[in-house]
Amino acid sequence: MKKILMCLFVLIIAVPAYAIDGTQLLKQIDRNLNPESYEMYRKIINIEPNGRKMEYTLFSVKKGVDKVAALFIAPASEKGRSTLRLGENMWLYIPNVGKPVRITSLQSVIGGVFNNADILSLDYAAEYDVEKVEEAGNEYLLYLKAKTKTVPYDRIKLWADKNKKLPSKIECLTEALMLIKTLYFKEVKDFGAGIIRPSVLETDSPLYKDYKSIMIFANIKQRDFKDEVFTLTFMPKIESLRK
Amino acid sequence: MGKLQIFVAVLVALLISSVSSAQEEYKFDISEIEKKPYHIGGYVEFRPAIFWMDKDAALYKLRFFNQDEGNTIEEYNGDIQLEGSYEKGIARVFVLVNGDLTYSYQGWSDSLDLYEGTLSLKPSNSLAIDLGKETQKWGKGYAWNPVAFVDRPKDPEEPDLAREGFWMASADYIKSFSGPLKTFSFTPVLLPVYGQVNDEFGKSDKLNVAGKFYLLLYDTDIDLMFLTGGSRTPRFGFDFSRNISTNLEVHGEFAYINNFKQKTIDERGKVSESKFDAKSYLLGMRYLTEIDTTFILEYYHNGTGYTQDEIGSFFSLIDKSYKTYLSSRNRDSLTKAQSLAGNYGGVNPMNDYLYLRVTQKDPFNILYFTPALTSIINLDDGSFSLSPELTYAGITNLELRLKASANVGQNESEYGEKPSDYRLELRARYYF
Repeated sequence: MKKILMCLFVLIIAVPAYAIDGTQLLKQIDRNLNPESYEMYRKIINIEPNGRKMEYTLFSVKKGVDKVAALFIAPASEKGRSTLRLGENMWLYIPNVGKPVRITSLQSVIGGVFNNADILSLDYAAEYDVEKVEEAGNEYLLYLKAKTKTVPYDRIKLWADKNKKLPSKIECLTEALMLIKTLYFKEVKDFGAGIIRPSVLETDSPLYKDYKSIMIFANIKQRDFKDEVFTLTFMPKIESLRK
Repeated sequence: MGKLQIFVAVLVALLISSVSSAQEEYKFDISEIEKKPYHIGGYVEFRPAIFWMDKDAALYKLRFFNQDEGNTIEEYNGDIQLEGSYEKGIARVFVLVNGDLTYSYQGWSDSLDLYEGTLSLKPSNSLAIDLGKETQKWGKGYAWNPVAFVDRPKDPEEPDLAREGFWMASADYIKSFSGPLKTFSFTPVLLPVYGQVNDEFGKSDKLNVAGKFYLLLYDTDIDLMFLTGGSRTPRFGFDFSRNISTNLEVHGEFAYINNFKQKTIDERGKVSESKFDAKSYLLGMRYLTEIDTTFILEYYHNGTGYTQDEIGSFFSLIDKSYKTYLSSRNRDSLTKAQSLAGNYGGVNPMNDYLYLRVTQKDPFNILYFTPALTSIINLDDGSFSLSPELTYAGITNLELRLKASANVGQNESEYGEKPSDYRLELRARYYF
């Protein structure tokens, strides 16, 4: 009898862990971070080891699973530049050059620790499969594997708050589990309309020792867009979306 | 208050101030993202340069046959590029002006050009109409664009510079789909040439019609373009661009020009004109390594270009004409050669070229520092240019570039007969 009760007790403890659907959890984390279609403003601050800073301000729009565009509105040297992601395709538009050129997610159009994949990020569930979920105190730890070779980080370890279902830390890794960069999600803020999420994203990288990059989010709003906004021909006109 | 209490109070005050300053660091000022209906911006640039002249070069003799400016020439350039826009409803007005002030061996010179001036109407995200002076930058090539039918020629040594547009009416119609064809767009263009309007484009009193169809098909950018109407002979072409892998992109262009007219001049100074159907094409790639080195490689066949013999005849004519001038002060033959200097001495006037540009981002972890090396090789005569450069953009809105160029080639080769052997240029550009 005691043995049966012990087994039942162990099962009761174990079942909740096995009941976590990693994919659903990841989708929920994505939705808690951003609506499926939205507009937002971001400021990226690159901090060098000597304390010097370079700041960039971007206006970003996203629709659905695989459409993202970003427009630089500051500083003056970058104003008018835009980047577009449509599925696996990515382009950069520079006003003086006057036509978009193809770029890769590995590049960084602004320098610093953030690259194009970080600036034009899609839902994690769109690019990664969940290999396993562990519980670590009051957090979930998700082990993610890239769905295709085109995704810049082959593996990701994502720590998420159990209650809020929001990420607190992400480690981006190579296939050989070498650390590329770490993202820290901080300062949860209410952006209105039910969007409550971290407003600051800090990142550092062992590849850029003592450099730090910070992304600050503002004015995140759910907004619908026509598909035609996310096209090469529309890139010079992204500014017209700002209200 | 005891000393300990004062110490704790100061410590707490310091902690509060450090936290609040950290919080201020991570804040957005609403004025930074507030959209205004107008925008004014641009850049100012100071660009001194020094040229080491090649007094034996044919193009030097053509330009300096009656003056001696020494072995080196200095030039001081100041440029301003100013842009402004105003938006109201579906309408937007945009103006781009370029001003240049130069001091050289010729004294002071200045220019002020309207590069663009457009009224845009955007009734929806699928349709936009533009009227005014604008540029249509067609083509996927980095250094050359044989399919840029309604644009001014690009300088492959400075392909990223803004260029003056033409007066035209154009539209963009965009349609998105799901499936292999993700995007379709059509850009029709009407380009009139009447009187002084677009007089540099070609024959006058013509209304030219051009257009470009764009498709994103199976993750490949594809464009089909055409030009007809009479100011230039009819032409059509296509281009493409595709990522083969995450770090390798390939692109190409093809242009067919019907009845292209080419003027040639022989050793005796006799000018003749021929007509032929010209085919120009380009194939290129862009490759990014794991350490952020970018390689751009392009092969270009200029179907409208001159053969080695034709260029050789031109350079021989200059040599003979120069000797005639020295002996008799008769410059008639030199004047005839000068009339075709724009064709023969222009940008890449021969048939086959190779372009290579290597850029290294942030070497030795020096952020915002980008060294690069560019070479344009004339495959017909083996001459080439070689241009190393260093760019630093680590101060907000300031870009500094130091660029050197060398022209290398034998006699009667394109780069061997350029007026200067070497050039050194500093460019300091401030954006506002």
